[in-house]
Parts: sequence; structure tokens; C-alpha cells
Amino acid sequence: MGVKQLAEKVAEYNDRLEQGKVEKIKPDHVKKVQKKLEKKMAELEAEIAATGNEDKKGRLNRKLAIAREHAERAEWLLDKIT
Amino acid sequence: MTRYYLPVAIGALLVAFWLSPNAQEIAAGVAIFLFGMLMLEDGFKLLGGGMLERLLERATRSVPRSMLFGIVSTTVLQSSSLVSVITISFLSAGLISLTGGVGIIFGANIGTTTGAWLVAGLGLKVDIAAYAMPMIALSIILVFQKSKVWRGVGYAVAGLGFLFLGIHHMKEGFEAYKDQIDLLRFALPGVLGLVVYTLLGTVSTVVMQSSHATMVLILTALAAGQITYENALALAIGGNIGTTITAIIGSLSANFQGKRLAVAHLVFNVTTAAVALVFIAQLRDAVDWVSAMVGINADDHALKLAVFHTIFNVLGVALVLPFMRRLVSLLERRIVEPEPDVSRPRYLNAAVDAFPETMESALRKEVLHLRENATELILHGLNLHRHEIFETGNIADTVRKSRTAHDLDIEEGYERRVKTLYSAIVEFTTRAGDKRLPPQIAQRVYDLRDVASDIVQAVKSVKHLRKNVLRYTVRDQGAVTELYDGLRTEIARILLEIRKLERADPEDRSALWLDQEQAQIEEDARKTTRRIDRFIRTGALKPNAATSFLNDSAYAYGAMRQLIKAARGYYIERDSSMAEVEKLLALDDEEFGPGSAR
Repeated sequence: MGVKQLAEKVAEYNDRLEQGKVEKIKPDHVKKVQKKLEKKMAELEAEIAATGNEDKKGRLNRKLAIAREHAERAEWLLDKIT
Repeated sequence: MTRYYLPVAIGALLVAFWLSPNAQEIAAGVAIFLFGMLMLEDGFKLLGGGMLERLLERATRSVPRSMLFGIVSTTVLQSSSLVSVITISFLSAGLISLTGGVGIIFGANIGTTTGAWLVAGLGLKVDIAAYAMPMIALSIILVFQKSKVWRGVGYAVAGLGFLFLGIHHMKEGFEAYKDQIDLLRFALPGVLGLVVYTLLGTVSTVVMQSSHATMVLILTALAAGQITYENALALAIGGNIGTTITAIIGSLSANFQGKRLAVAHLVFNVTTAAVALVFIAQLRDAVDWVSAMVGINADDHALKLAVFHTIFNVLGVALVLPFMRRLVSLLERRIVEPEPDVSRPRYLNAAVDAFPETMESALRKEVLHLRENATELILHGLNLHRHEIFETGNIADTVRKSRTAHDLDIEEGYERRVKTLYSAIVEFTTRAGDKRLPPQIAQRVYDLRDVASDIVQAVKSVKHLRKNVLRYTVRDQGAVTELYDGLRTEIARILLEIRKLERADPEDRSALWLDQEQAQIEEDARKTTRRIDRFIRTGALKPNAATSFLNDSAYAYGAMRQLIKAARGYYIERDSSMAEVEKLLALDDEEFGPGSAR
């Protein structure tokens, strides 16, 4: 769902890059964020498995969904810049 | 004291000029030399671009590394004063430890001896004025370049040129004296000579604020035969005591750590000087022995003075180093850390103003200090205890059990613990804006000011809630209490999540985690609206309570969004490319649903 927005943001970033306003993103930068996301997702999954509180489980599941969305976008971004 | 310093210094110079026109050349030589040092400092500051600061941060992980850094940096910069001022600045900003700082000062004392070797070995034997003129002439072209690097090179070359020119004029001045007045008549033998010339060396270094300049003056006077070798040794010892003045002046605007370092410097140099004075005869023999070993002529007193300066400083370090830990713990006991006053800025002081890295680092810490104060005030404003919220496994349950009103004047708390810090932060960032900071650091400084502003706005929003929190949460009044407990729980949860982010390993954390919290806020806001509708329809909530709650929930969700925005600004990656990745991956406002605003 967010890939379209991401594509627009990347286009806008490329414009700023051409103007020399930002530094170039390298695959390693994205991979570092991916590593953090993987760790976070694993932590959330472990917390979900450990909690018996339904309300908390719901909140954690929503967090996990957002982390997965970020991971999906990171995958797309890595593919785009490699 | 400073009131009398200027007229006395000018008066003394005028009298000296009147008594002897040659004094003008010597004084001008000293002035040109000091001017050269200033230019050299400016040049390295421009060239460094934070490099020196970054190195310093890494170089203090052990005592030998700190000392090595002190030796190398003082040798390169040819100014132990600059190194000690940088060290005080970093210590004040909390970037290095006191032990690391003391190690640097010890190293700087050894590094400063290279100056004597340069002057004695090169300055007095080669016509350095011949190099000085072209250096100054070429440097001025570079100084007017737009590029920071070229300007830095220009200042450094000009600085070196002026150093050479200053030495040349001092040499000329003393040479002229040789033909007219014999200063040797004032030479004092024995203990009296030692004491008087040590004091003279101390005073001249205090006046010029440079042991380097004193050393050059001694060497040129010695080379011209205007002072005896014995008196020159005492002058060099005095110079080592006098050089502590720079650190003392620098520590006046620093915090307790800076003051500890200045005292350590003074204790170290005075101890070294005392030992040198007591064992002066043995040191002289050692100098003769070393000089003979390395092939220095017995009558080359200038080079022998450089040998003495080196032996005496290395000996000082060797003597004091075994007691360094004791010295540090003594200073920590004697100069106690003042009781932290939460309402005063802890990190923003004049000592951190000198370098971009220390400015940013001190500002980050102060903003964190502001957030800690704000967190406590927000929780107390909601009748919650910080430690209970941060330690509980079930926030909603803890909030439901918190039914005691806190004795708190939130307005007074805001003025004292939030506004004062915020004002200091704004003043500091404005001051930083006047300096030519590297663009990336300048941007981060402004971003941190915005973070502080968001934190303050969050506190202001919670201030609006206080009245009804007191009205509806100290005893259970059914639906309305349940609604306010919901708001209290959500704010407390956000504060807890931000605290978790602070405590997380910087290698693992990401500002992206805040998207998860932001999404939760918007989800909670929608749920709350649906609950109010249901309560009004069923009559569980009276219309006046409903309107109060609608207003308050707008403030509460506003506060939560401001806290998230502040955390986003604070925890954004410092590496600009990584920060760009985070910004690209982050969810947009519309993706969080209606009502959201970052």
C-alpha cells in the first residue's frame, strides 16, 4: 500500500540529491535499517507469544504490522538503489 | 584584578620602551609570536572541521592513549594552551572523563617541549626570517579564498610565518641589547637566583599566557648571552608554573569537572617545578650527561636548555603518573559535584561554546534533561508517579489505582523546571547560529531546538488537563473517570515507550519505531471518540462532562503527538544517509488515518 508514496518520496529525494542537498544512500544504509527491523520484528513476535493479555496482544500485533510494512518498503528501496 | 591588568601591562610596556628603545623590538617580537599562535589556532580550527574533537573523543579510552594524544596534538598545534582549553571544553560537555583529561594534560606537558627543540635547534641556527616573509606573503592570498580548507591552510601558514618573524625580532632585540646593556649584571647566583628567576618565568608566562613565548624569550636571551644558563633553567621552571593560568582562566566558565582539571594541571606543574628546584644540581648533571651522549656541545646552552626542559617535564610525568588515580579521586572529593538543580541548565555553559562538536553534544544532553523534567511534570500533572509507571507491567491497572491528588502547582512547575531550561536552550542555539558551524551540525542544532519546543508544547497541553484530572480521577465517578483514565494511560504509555527508546542500544534502535506509537495514538483517538458517542447516547456521560472531555482529549492527543514528534527529532539517525533512509521508509500522516498531524 505504501510503495506508491515511497516511489514519490524517492523521486523527491533524487531531486534533492541532484541539487547536492542530501548525501547518497548506499545499499549498506538500507541493509543496516533492515537488520534493525528484523530484530524488532523478532522481539515483537516473542512478546506476542509471551503475553496473555488480549489488549496488549492487539497492540503488539498492530506494531508488528507496521514493522512489516517498513520491512517491505526497505526491501523495495534496496531493490531500487542496487 | 582584570581592572588593573590592562593599565599595569600598558604602563609597564611604555616605561620599558622609554628606558630602552630595544625593548620595543623584543616586545614586538613577543607580540608577533603570540599573534602567530592565534593564527595557527584559527587555521587548525578551520581545517579541523571537528576532526580534532572527534579524535579527542576516541583518544581518551585509556591513560596511555590520552597521554599520547596530548603529546601529538601539542606537538602539531605547538600550543599546550589550545589543547588544555579544548580538553576543558570536552570535559565540561561530559564527552571525556576526568582521568582522560588529566592524561591529556600530562601528555601536553611533554608535547610542549618540542617547541624548545624547534627554536633551539632551528630558530636560532637558521635565518628563519628569510622563510617568514614569503610564508606571510603567500598566506594572505589563501586567507582570502572562499574555500574553508584553503583559508585554514592560509591561517596556519601565516601563523607559522608570524611565529618565525616573532622569534627573529626577539633575537634581534636581544642582540642589540648585547651591545648596549649587559643584562648579565642582573644575574643572581645560588638559591636566590633560582627563586627570583622562577618567579620571573611564572609572571612572564602569566602575562603572555604562553609558556611557548616565555621559552622562546629565554632561548633567544640565552643565545644572545643576556642571561646565564642557571637563570635560564629557573625561568623555564617558572614558565611551567605560569602556563597553568590558561587552564585556570578556561575553567572559570566551565563546570566542576573543568575546575578539577585546572587544579590537577596546577598541582602537577607545581609539584614538577618543586622537584626540579630541589634537585636542580642533579638535573644539571643529567642534562650534561644526556647532551654529551647525543653530541650537543658543552657550550650550546640553548640546546642544553631544550634537553633540560624535556627531562624535567618527562620526569614530572613519571613522578606524578603513579599517583594519578589518587589525584583524581582527591579532586573528586575536594571539588564536589554541585547538588543537581533540575531548574538550571546542566550542560550549556560558556566552556562548551568553543567547538561545534561540544556545542551539539551539550545541547543534546540539555534537551534530554528538559525531557526528563517534562516527563516528571506531565506524569505528576496526571496524578501519576514516574517510578510506578516505569516499573509496572500493567500501565492501565497502575493508572486505575492512582487516585491520590499530587500536591503540585503545575504552573510553577512549568516555569521552574521547563521554561527556564527551554529559554537557556533557545539562547544557546541562537548563540550557536551566530557561529559558523558546519552545515550538518548547524542543522542538528536547530533540529534539537525544535525538539525542545515540541516537548514544551506537550507540557503546555497537559497543563490544560490538570483541572479535570483533579476533578475526575481522585475518586471513581463512572464513565467520565474511565475516559480520563484512558487518556492518562495512553500518555503514560507514550512516555514509557520513549524511555525504552532512550535505553535501547543505539545500534538497535530506530526512529521508525515511533511510527508504531503514532499509529497507536491515532487508533486510540478514534476509539475514544466512539466511546464518547456511546456514553452520550446511553446517558452515562453528562453533556457538560462530555464537552470538557472532548476539549481535554484534544489536548491529550496533541501532547502525545508532540512527544512523538520530539522523540522522532531526537532519535533520528545522526548519519545523514541513514536519516534519509528512515525518512523514506516512515509512514506519511495520511497513512495513520484521520486526525493525525506530525
